[in-house]
Amino acid sequence: MSVIDIKGLHKSFGDLEVLKGIDLAIETGEVVVIIGPSGSGKSTLLRCLNFLEYPTEGEIRVNGELIDPKKTDLDKVRQHMGMVFQHFQLFPHKNVLHNITIAPMNVKNATRKAANMVARDLLQKVGLPDKEKAWPSQLSGGQKQRVAIARALAMDPDIMLFDEVTSALDPELVNEVLQVMQDLAAGGMTMVVVTHEMGFAREVASRVIMMDDGRIIEEGTPEQLFGDPQEERTRMFLSQVL
Amino acid sequence: MTLLNVVQDYFWGFLIATGMTLRLTAVSLVLAVVIGLLFAFLKISKYRVANIIADAYIGITRGMPLIVQLMFLYFGISSIVTLTAFWAGSFALALHAGGYVAEILRGAIQNVDRGQTEAARSLGMSHGMSMRLIVLPQAVRRAIPPLGNQFIIGLKDSSLVAFLGVPELFSKAMTAAAANYSPFNTYLVAGTYYLVLVIIFTWLVHKLETRLTPYRQEATR
Repeated sequence: MSVIDIKGLHKSFGDLEVLKGIDLAIETGEVVVIIGPSGSGKSTLLRCLNFLEYPTEGEIRVNGELIDPKKTDLDKVRQHMGMVFQHFQLFPHKNVLHNITIAPMNVKNATRKAANMVARDLLQKVGLPDKEKAWPSQLSGGQKQRVAIARALAMDPDIMLFDEVTSALDPELVNEVLQVMQDLAAGGMTMVVVTHEMGFAREVASRVIMMDDGRIIEEGTPEQLFGDPQEERTRMFLSQVL
Repeated sequence: MTLLNVVQDYFWGFLIATGMTLRLTAVSLVLAVVIGLLFAFLKISKYRVANIIADAYIGITRGMPLIVQLMFLYFGISSIVTLTAFWAGSFALALHAGGYVAEILRGAIQNVDRGQTEAARSLGMSHGMSMRLIVLPQAVRRAIPPLGNQFIIGLKDSSLVAFLGVPELFSKAMTAAAANYSPFNTYLVAGTYYLVLVIIFTWLVHKLETRLTPYRQEATR
């Protein structure tokens, strides 16, 4: 069964139609990388997956269950999906440890002790075991983003969504974040990644999706898409970013 | 009367009256924060009716002189419910400051990055939980400087309650000045009392701000 199954997804902001009919199924353990020019609807698609944006039209099933944003308890749905944002969005008034424990303790009613244990384990995993007492403002961009990943993982999600998570980073900090994501993929996490990092897409993706103008215009394995793109627009895009 | 005579004669009397000024200020400001928070939420609510109520309240309280509101509450309302001068004064001060506090808090809440709410919601927090745990703590910290400012205005505004006959600092000063024929020296002393209170208060607000925002000391975002 697909973790997420989308049929005929449309999304408009006022008169502007950003998504013009998306069909996409994400299977357990897949790493789906979405590429495409800016304004093509990649981020909007990602944000529809955990209902930060409500679809204008179309069906989204999560673990087989059809979601109606007006009726389904979206808080419950989101608990199973982690999201990492371009601008980190760590909580500035909480230290690193509390950033990671706040959701498990308040949403899942985890005890402080259990939450701390999970958090320390995750900080180890993202390579920041000595930063639990630090304030977000004391961290570099790469460190912030790794904490943000740990924070999302602390809810033990079935799927992780990454929204251009390296775009706001200084170039020398990009790799430490990509490395964490690569480890995560190697560990079997289901992931949907919107990115401009073609190297990452090539090495880590199990499937690459090319979007343009609100539609999926081409998809395939990295070898297919990068090695032998079928669409003219894909070729154009790749020639500009590679 | 020389300045020294005024100080000698009224030092304790004014100090006791200052206690009343502080009580008025404290009661009215606590009420103002409660009222302000309530109307801030009404103002940012997605319900149109709530917005209108908030706008009306803020418009009225900010659009009329405080002395008019004081007189209205004391003499106008007390024909229906009896309020002591102290409580009429406190309520009027609170209602007046509440309008400003509402605007300060609304601004502070809306200035918290929308991405913070999105991050909280993406972790499975409900709307209320993300407001309580993520948005409000940041908003309140940001609101402390302008709130402190408003509190200082409230402290000084409490002098108007003298006209309801509450024996606070300014009312004592008026009585004294009328009796000793030295208004210059008398008001100079009373004014100094207010000044000292404001200086202490400003210092406290500053302390509170630094204390509540440890993360901002090395802040670069």
